[in-house]
Amino acid sequence: MPPVIDLEKCTSCGLCDEICMMDVIYMKEEDSRTMPYLKYPEECWHCGVCRQDCPSEAISIRFPWYSLII
Amino acid sequence: MEFSRINTDVLVIGGGLAGLNAAIAAAEKGAQVVVMDKGKIERSGSIGGGVDHLGAWLNSGPAWDTREAWLENAWRIGKGTAHLSILDATVCDELAAALDRLERLGVPLRQPDGTYLRTQAFGQPGPTTINFNGKRMKPALAKEVRRLGCRVLDRVMTVTLITQKGVVAGALGFHIRSGEPFLIEAKATIIATGSTNRITQNPRMNAFNTWQCPLDTGDGQVMAFNAGAALTNMEYMRITIVPKGFSAAGLGAFTAMGGRFLNAKGEYYMEKNYPAGNKAPRNQIVFQTLKEIQEGRGPVFIDCTHVTGFDARHLATTLGYDKDTLPDYLAQRGEDITKRPLAVDVSEGLQCGPTNETGSGVKIDRHCASTVPGLFAGGDAADHHRCVRGCVTGGFSAGKGAADYALKTNAIEIDPTPLRDAFDSFMAPLRRKTGLSYGEMEEVIGKVVSEHMAVGRTEMGLNIGFEKLKGIESHIGLLKAENFHELMRANETRSILQVAKIMNRAAEYRKESRIKPYHYRLDYSETDDQNWCGLVVVEKDGEGIRLSFDRTVHG
Repeated sequence: MPPVIDLEKCTSCGLCDEICMMDVIYMKEEDSRTMPYLKYPEECWHCGVCRQDCPSEAISIRFPWYSLII
Repeated sequence: MEFSRINTDVLVIGGGLAGLNAAIAAAEKGAQVVVMDKGKIERSGSIGGGVDHLGAWLNSGPAWDTREAWLENAWRIGKGTAHLSILDATVCDELAAALDRLERLGVPLRQPDGTYLRTQAFGQPGPTTINFNGKRMKPALAKEVRRLGCRVLDRVMTVTLITQKGVVAGALGFHIRSGEPFLIEAKATIIATGSTNRITQNPRMNAFNTWQCPLDTGDGQVMAFNAGAALTNMEYMRITIVPKGFSAAGLGAFTAMGGRFLNAKGEYYMEKNYPAGNKAPRNQIVFQTLKEIQEGRGPVFIDCTHVTGFDARHLATTLGYDKDTLPDYLAQRGEDITKRPLAVDVSEGLQCGPTNETGSGVKIDRHCASTVPGLFAGGDAADHHRCVRGCVTGGFSAGKGAADYALKTNAIEIDPTPLRDAFDSFMAPLRRKTGLSYGEMEEVIGKVVSEHMAVGRTEMGLNIGFEKLKGIESHIGLLKAENFHELMRANETRSILQVAKIMNRAAEYRKESRIKPYHYRLDYSETDDQNWCGLVVVEKDGEGIRLSFDRTVHG
């Protein structure tokens, strides 16, 4: 689903979670680290805000496979 | 459960483009302001990720570049779907100040050399649209809202207005993550909640892949309706043209930069069928495109292969201003629009204003006041505002109207006790362990709206559709939510269903066709200006819907 978060680059700042208007991105604790994940990926509007605002350029957009075919 | 209580002069429901302009206007007038939004105001709403156009007149010399020409065009294209006097007061009076304000806040409306880049599309009388990089328009406005001291409640969904003795006195809401309940007491309340999306089946196989913002679900229109306010123009179901697999903004950019509509027979059908050709009003492009497909000349394409040089480079750039991820989509799909025509399709439907000039939603007057004291509206949720221009002018106008009212009005004492029950009814999905998800219910609503209320309406079809919507309503008590995110969605589903019912009754009432295909009655297929030039007015009548007609005249 659209935002793909590179956890190597991610600094866990939480901005993507904060600004996602569709409330798709959440933070979770995993391996003693806070990291973002897509809790409701199917509700992404592809607005691109998370990618635009990510301070560490950790987010890219990957469209769902079917949308590239139909 | 105890509400977090806040007192204010002006409450703005919806912190999108219109809501933030409303908040700025009210704060500049000296009012205390609270803004509530389901998202975070820096990035929420239809232009949260960016926009590339603002339709304007700049008095640069030609006759088309004047306020009078814009109003004349609003009448010509709008076909009587607005009172020109209200457009004049709430849009025209505010435009020059709105452009100044945006530039002062750092929105780059001009090119680096200080000139405006202006383009023409959608039946405009000349190149009136200012083309610009609006990717940071929302952050700029949000910064100003916070600087002016407005209290911002991000991620708070408003569920109902508070009405005391026929006057709107604030609203109730909850935080979509923590569930914290809010009671806002306000002398004036502004509805700025945008249009209604997710209301039809989505041909893109994803309910949330909508042309306009899927967070806009008619919440404000429904709250206003339930508080007794009149709505108008609710029969119109708007559609656009989108790339085959991705519903996205950008049609204006394609057509403004020279895109040509092409059918499977190699004919440029808009140039053949309509005087303004590819720059025809949006409804005409959709109408002609549907005709091409239905008559066997599909699939259809937008051909930009002749666009070269600056125009080609600019088209690629501006598509990304209007929809940030559209260039990614085209690249991942392997499309090069300069090399081959792009396959396109008609979009899903949404309930919103019938044209780029005229709106739908809460019926407003010249001060953006609704028909209920204490309630105002601006932007796409107001019946005289549409698009970026309508939000930056109409939103501001609503803020001024609401502040003027609030500053000369005494607060109404509110007893929270009866409000707890009202609020509790919106929390009910949380208590259900089994039941229906919002997704399941929206699928059924979309099916009914698409089959009975979309393009090509008939009396029998609409009546059958209405009965089916009532059938869905009888299941609303089964909606379940496992957390506050799902509770927000479940309440959105309630709004969408209510808008669908209102759209249905307004569409059945209007026994003619207007702005085809946005209101296209197969049983009354002609436009009948003699009897139907004006607005269908919808009001709550007990548990039912009362309909009446508000005639419009040119001038």
